Amino acid sequence: METNFETIEGRSTQFYLLMSFLAISAAVGLVSSYLMYSKGLYITGMTNRVPWGLQIILAVFYIGLSAGSLVISSLYAIFGKIEYKPFARISVSLAILFLMAALLSIILDWGRPDRIFVPFSHFNPVSMFSINPFLYTVYIFICFVYLWAMFREKEKLVRIIALIAVIWAIGVHSGTGAIFGFVPRELFQSPLLPPSFIAAALSSGTALMILVIFVLFRLTRRALDNRLMVRLGKLLAVFIVVAMYFVLVENAYRLYLPESRKAAYYFLFGGFHSSVFWYGMIVIGSIIPAGILFNPRTGSSIPWIVLSSVLTVFGVLCERYLIVIPGQTHPVDLFPNMEIVGSALEEGIVNYSISFYEVLQAIGILGIIGFLFVLGLRLFRLLPTEAKISE
Amino acid sequence: MVGTTSAFGLPLLAATNSSIANPTGSSARRKWGMVIDLNRCLSGCTVCLEACRKENNVAFHGDKRWDIHWIRKVRIRRKHSAGSTEKSVILLCNHCENPPCVQVCPVKASYKRDDGIVIVDHHRCIGCRYCVIACPYNARYFNFKENREWHNKNYPKRMHGVAESCTFCAHFVDKGKKPACVDACERINIKALVFGNLNDPASDISHLMAGNPARGIREDLGTKPKVYYIGL
Repeated sequence: METNFETIEGRSTQFYLLMSFLAISAAVGLVSSYLMYSKGLYITGMTNRVPWGLQIILAVFYIGLSAGSLVISSLYAIFGKIEYKPFARISVSLAILFLMAALLSIILDWGRPDRIFVPFSHFNPVSMFSINPFLYTVYIFICFVYLWAMFREKEKLVRIIALIAVIWAIGVHSGTGAIFGFVPRELFQSPLLPPSFIAAALSSGTALMILVIFVLFRLTRRALDNRLMVRLGKLLAVFIVVAMYFVLVENAYRLYLPESRKAAYYFLFGGFHSSVFWYGMIVIGSIIPAGILFNPRTGSSIPWIVLSSVLTVFGVLCERYLIVIPGQTHPVDLFPNMEIVGSALEEGIVNYSISFYEVLQAIGILGIIGFLFVLGLRLFRLLPTEAKISE
Repeated sequence: MVGTTSAFGLPLLAATNSSIANPTGSSARRKWGMVIDLNRCLSGCTVCLEACRKENNVAFHGDKRWDIHWIRKVRIRRKHSAGSTEKSVILLCNHCENPPCVQVCPVKASYKRDDGIVIVDHHRCIGCRYCVIACPYNARYFNFKENREWHNKNYPKRMHGVAESCTFCAHFVDKGKKPACVDACERINIKALVFGNLNDPASDISHLMAGNPARGIREDLGTKPKVYYIGL
């Protein structure tokens, strides 16, 4: 079956309304970022004890979404499943855009974003924050070549680049997990974090692709074969279980060893983040969607699949929060068997609350990539005319 | 040595006061370290903290979230024994032999000199705060807010958006003087802080280390701290 791609028309009032909305969001986010830059980061919720906040949580989340969406293209490009070809171009475009969103989040979160070119002239090969930008930029470049090859319909080249892209993506996502996993703090340090990071990336990315495909095909009134959505839903179910498995092993390990047991208790039962863990990530974000997708009746119903995708994306967002924040709020025990009863600094367990400015900044970054995505749909033949399984 | 001059030389200041810019250069033959004798340290005394803040223009905003402490004093006591006696401990940058802050810095703004002093180049720092995350001792701070006050005009203050921590007063050390905190403690004749060259067996600090069981904080982390404690 031949797949044809086309641009969206982009002349309707709704189109212009959407574009204006995205542009305004982007502007709001940039204003907020400028205020942070000029006044100082004290206007955010971050402190000397929790120096990484919402933007780092989201950067990690976006990088995961980027990997996951790339995987959908590989179903066609590497595994030769031609029925997924209609989604391939969208999936690679999203992979590029989400990686750009992650880079934007990280750079706008710097205290001195005006020094944006310093990392290019001063490279520290042992810093994960130096290795990752290199991995990310090369990844974006590979994805662009990948997309170009798809536009030219160079099947063989697409195959080769897809393989390179997926291998590189594993590096990108392991590297991102290592930002935390390789730092000596009780709730960060873990060799399991890079692979667990990839598992969550696959589940959130697949879920997001299901949502994007659903919304795009609905809004542009395109024919979409329900069986494709059902198959993607099954794939998503497997990814959710794998991701949960990693979380289980990691927490069991921490609980089992006496030296990390206290940290494990803090993580699982220590306050607000524990509710995020149990309710947000485990129940709403994993068990419910997995249950829906494995149930033969709900698992083959489009509204249920869409719902479970929403829940999965939410669950992985919770997971990203849980990677970044509790590892900081839980301190390194400087004096084992002793407790600090007085200090000029916030010692012990501390709190982080997301500030208004950080939320606006995040909306702005989403606005920028949303604008670019819709513009891409308008300018390039990214959308298929239809998506059907050929008999 | 790379970065040594730029670390302190806010270009404007370096022009007026070139002595800050480390004319002699740091030497690998020296390995600076500090011993803190907690048995001598007075529990209510803060002269070292004040001397540091004044000398180095360390920002104090009156808010625990953003205040910067190159050196701080904490009170600790044994866990689960409310009646037990409290002890005051002075904490500062440990100038680790294996500094995590240097390892993670993406632009090498955080670096270790040949003499072991760990310093941030404030002109290169991009403000990513990875060093603040990586330091297990909470000794690295970020300038969340502009420091309005500038007590010591002979020493630069930092702009907001960059990280900083104790430098062992490298600008004094390079001129053969002692860090401000050590000097202040000696002035009131307590001498709880002893600074010197760990590589020199004849130095005060080596004598002190030889005669007492001195240890660093959480040495098990493998960071090899060079601030040692007696009586911890």
